[in-house]
Amino acid sequence: MANYAVVTLIALSVLLVALLLRRPSLTAIQGGKILAFVAFFVLPVIATALGASIHLENSTSTQFCLSCHVMQKHGASLYIDDPTYVPAAHFQNNRIPKDHACYTCHTDYTMFGDVNAKMRGLRHLYVYYLATPPAKLALYEPFKNRECLHCHDGARSYEETTPHKEMKEQLSSNDMSCLTCHVKIHDVANIEKMKKWKGPGL
Amino acid sequence: MSDSRSRTERELRTAAYLLILGLAIEAITLQWAHPTSFVVFLTIGAVLVLAGMAVYLFAIVRH
Repeated sequence: MANYAVVTLIALSVLLVALLLRRPSLTAIQGGKILAFVAFFVLPVIATALGASIHLENSTSTQFCLSCHVMQKHGASLYIDDPTYVPAAHFQNNRIPKDHACYTCHTDYTMFGDVNAKMRGLRHLYVYYLATPPAKLALYEPFKNRECLHCHDGARSYEETTPHKEMKEQLSSNDMSCLTCHVKIHDVANIEKMKKWKGPGL
Repeated sequence: MSDSRSRTERELRTAAYLLILGLAIEAITLQWAHPTSFVVFLTIGAVLVLAGMAVYLFAIVRH
């Protein structure tokens, strides 16, 4: 919907610019000068800003992340038919929105988390188009419990489970990683051999 | 005087072509949620639009 609004704005801007291109004499009068300013400056600024915002929003979609060839095995790992695999269990049981699956877990839940995520995304684009992606993908830094606790903290299923109760302080302070126990993550090395869930595609 | 006017008109025409091309590219890239369309939007569409606006502003300030 937002796409159509921006495309309509762009079309309006193009029409006005084309009109002034065809009838440059219009800019000789006061109203024409204002029209030219709107067509040549105001509308393009708004259209470009809104367009950039839509692209940034699109870049948080699962489809966007998995459109890069190097991410396809990670995408396939969301369909592993085994509830002990953390990303697969979250994806298949709607614990995270399917259309924003990667972003929901891999953004930073901090004040500038979105900005950091976009910066990493730009770095990924650079590596994908202008350099060589590494054979084995890895996170820039260890996965923080903060990202898990953003949803799980305060949830009954987390708070009332015995190991969580005993280690709550260590988990909250990130002294012990959630991944110490929840070890089954994407496991792309063995993805071909694993049984897959035949759920709805993305 | 007429030389100056024709130069301004020429610059406005250049600005118009840059803007139309840039905005058209921006509109096309919005049809896909793909890294390539994002890169094309940023490095071609937005750059052409900025160049068009710069030429327009330069033309009206100089005029």
